[in-house]
Amino acid sequence: MRALIGFRTLVWREIVRFLSVFTQTIFPPVVSSFLYIFIFGFSLGQKIQKIHDVPYLWFLIPGLIMMYIIEGSYANSSSSLFISRWANNIEELLVTPLSYFEMVLAILIGGLARTIVIVAGVYLVSLLFVRFPPAHPWVVFYFLIFVSLTFSSLGMIVALFAEEFEHLSIATTFVITPMVFFGGVFHSIAMVPEALKWLTLFNPMFYMVDGMRYGMLGFSDVSISQSMLVIFVLFVILFSLTVYLFHIGFKLRK
Amino acid sequence: MIPAISIKNLTKFYRQFKAIEDVSFDVEPGEFFGFLGPNGAGKTTTISVMTGLANYQAGQVHIFGHDVTSDYRKTRALIGLVPQEFNFDPFLTAEQILIFEAGYFGIPSSEAKKRAHELLELFDLWPKRQDGYKRLSGGQKRRLLIARALMHRPKILILDEPTAGVDLELRYRLWEFLRKLNGEGTTIFLTTHYIEEAERLCSRVGVIHQGKMVALDPTETLIRKMSGDQVELYLKKEMTEVPEEIRSVAIALEEKGRKLRFEEKNNAVAEVLKTLHQRGIEIQKIDVRRPTLEDAFMKLINSQMKRG
Repeated sequence: MRALIGFRTLVWREIVRFLSVFTQTIFPPVVSSFLYIFIFGFSLGQKIQKIHDVPYLWFLIPGLIMMYIIEGSYANSSSSLFISRWANNIEELLVTPLSYFEMVLAILIGGLARTIVIVAGVYLVSLLFVRFPPAHPWVVFYFLIFVSLTFSSLGMIVALFAEEFEHLSIATTFVITPMVFFGGVFHSIAMVPEALKWLTLFNPMFYMVDGMRYGMLGFSDVSISQSMLVIFVLFVILFSLTVYLFHIGFKLRK
Repeated sequence: MIPAISIKNLTKFYRQFKAIEDVSFDVEPGEFFGFLGPNGAGKTTTISVMTGLANYQAGQVHIFGHDVTSDYRKTRALIGLVPQEFNFDPFLTAEQILIFEAGYFGIPSSEAKKRAHELLELFDLWPKRQDGYKRLSGGQKRRLLIARALMHRPKILILDEPTAGVDLELRYRLWEFLRKLNGEGTTIFLTTHYIEEAERLCSRVGVIHQGKMVALDPTETLIRKMSGDQVELYLKKEMTEVPEEIRSVAIALEEKGRKLRFEEKNNAVAEVLKTLHQRGIEIQKIDVRRPTLEDAFMKLINSQMKRG
């Protein structure tokens, strides 16, 4: 068990970090989810026809939750690792006997912890407007965990390549947010013009949003096993790449 | 006996620049070893290789027989590093910095708390334990760096310029503390700009210059090898120039020709005294100063510079 102490300590350090700046890490997504749900779902949504036989507000909530999972985990690990590189306290970690696998996994689990807090907050906000039990809770947990770990890995990779703080938000602004939006947070693939539908199928975010919708509402545009497989493969690739970069000391060791 | 640190033919590049070239040396368990060299000579780079903060291109580095690359978890557990620059976690308090660092090394939190308490007291940081490192003074940060490195009770303590920018009182206290720690069996590897520090503390020194080892000796041997006693003769009457017979051994004529300075080697004293006597020059006073490590160091570095 002694071997796990180091790992647990680093997970706890990551949690202490995001809690110590909770006004930047927890509040903003919860507040903005209230705005999205109230304006798009509750107010505008009443004018929108049902999708898959559920009101638009129901349809919106799983998509929003997936969006916050993606953004929250990416933001957490990218800023945590980049600040550590920038303040040089990454050296505190690199001289310890933790394995690279443990270092990476602990930081990812720290990101998962933040994501769980955010998702709980967004879900509580949604309860103010609508209440329905999740159709397949285990599917919800599957997507929560693997999407979070995947985007935490991506955040760590970007944090290693980044030379300045702005580089972290470039990925958010130009890649993640557009892909999440096109992935169907606010709309169903059925609403996309026929000619562009095939493009959506190349967007991994589509499978994440669709999978979460299956978990919460019980229906999806593509088969759930396909979505589960896409996200698992993506996780394995990005996680292995992150561990590999730590192993070779990419921008970590001189 | 397995050396505490064993470096063989280490070579390290920063892109095209060769920062370390074929460096080899061992440090025995329990030794107090000084690693000296001018700025940019490769001291910190060598430390970074030992501690896992730098990759290297050739050679082997072993800590108590374990390879620092293939067996990095074992070697890192044996070393405590006091880096030159402050690299504290900006999100933690002084006490948390110590407890978390111990945790990374596998120390259970109850034990870590106990050790943190002891070290915070020892380094006069207890009243500051709730503060983030930014609220500490320079000397307090330096002490916290050392406390952090000691949390897991390493067998080897590596200190990179630990007394840079530290006031005299703290410097003396640190020296005393390091001597005690070494006396209790911890191997100490120290780099410093204060050559006097190395002379007082280290039983053996290595000198690195432009990435190459240029000396590796017990401190006393290096001093003796590089430099003889410094002799100063105060003359009753001024002398306009150094007599020809002794120009080769000496010589600097200072204080308007009233002081003759030279280094005692190859019987220089006898030679000089004989010459002065023959010329009827009387001596008022003689000063003999033991050479210091600084004299040896300067001489060594100068001779290296001349060699290019």
